[in-house]
Amino acid sequence: MARGFKRKGELFVAKLDAVERGLVVGLMEQVRELLEPDEPGGDSASRSAKEQGGDAFDQIVAGLGGSGWGVSVSPEDQVPGAPASPGALEDRDPALDRLLPPAHREDEQIAAEFRRFTEHGLRARKTANLSTAIAALSGAEEQRVELDQPQAVALVVALTDVRLVLGERLGLRTDEDLELIEEQVSSLDDDDPAVYALAVYDFLTWLQQTLAHALNR
Amino acid sequence: MLGADAVTTAAYCGVVSIAPVEQESVSTSEESELDVPWITLVWNDPVNLMSYVTYVFQTYFGYSRTKAEKLMMDVHVKGRAVVSTGAREKMEADTEALQGYGLWATFQKDR
Repeated sequence: MARGFKRKGELFVAKLDAVERGLVVGLMEQVRELLEPDEPGGDSASRSAKEQGGDAFDQIVAGLGGSGWGVSVSPEDQVPGAPASPGALEDRDPALDRLLPPAHREDEQIAAEFRRFTEHGLRARKTANLSTAIAALSGAEEQRVELDQPQAVALVVALTDVRLVLGERLGLRTDEDLELIEEQVSSLDDDDPAVYALAVYDFLTWLQQTLAHALNR
Repeated sequence: MLGADAVTTAAYCGVVSIAPVEQESVSTSEESELDVPWITLVWNDPVNLMSYVTYVFQTYFGYSRTKAEKLMMDVHVKGRAVVSTGAREKMEADTEALQGYGLWATFQKDR
């Protein structure tokens, strides 16, 4: 059974089994893929990290037999609607708009200008941060997860990005939505993907909560 | 085991408001002058945790726990809070940094 993060001296310590770690790492990899700056022949470091990460995740999934691993935040696996289309804001993946929201609420021109100057850097930093968090969790071989301060910060931020994307996929826009979704899901079969997705979201919420509390101390 | 016992609905921030911002600029430091007309806002969303938002305000701005918690509660209860005031370039930098943390941050001219 998982145990949330607690501060122990300079370290942040939790207990997560291989399935739980694999789940969190797998979702962080998916979000990293969503966020990687798309430039032709982009920086090789992040691409090779992506390839390695993908392999690792595939191995974990394969090793687990796949049951219950149906949570995908990849745009291709979402309900038909707006496909991700780089550059065209109206058509772009709504999860990206949650990760990189318009920075001005009334002036589209200012928002567009801000996006032009900041989006690449934000994507690059979020991608790098996700890689740090992925490496930190992947490093654990036992249930005991020990993070130093920079790793803990990377993970608490990465969990936000993952929850923002998963929340968007679940249709979570307001608090009322969460209650509504919980209600809808309670009437579904246990093996329904939505039941699992919500359980995963709740798990990530709980994990982030413990880490944020530990960091606040 | 998957579970979220420690988390209650109250841990989530509430409804996102799109109401126009009132004239309630919070002067953050001695740098607020008459000719410093821009603000950074953080808006409520149902995903970000209160504890995390407090952590970000303390870490990024260096605000005290008390001030960070007050701003977080403003976001939670009023739907938004002015988290910094200053020159436009600084507000853009704050917005970019807060978006980096996953907060729903925007900037605008203080009206």
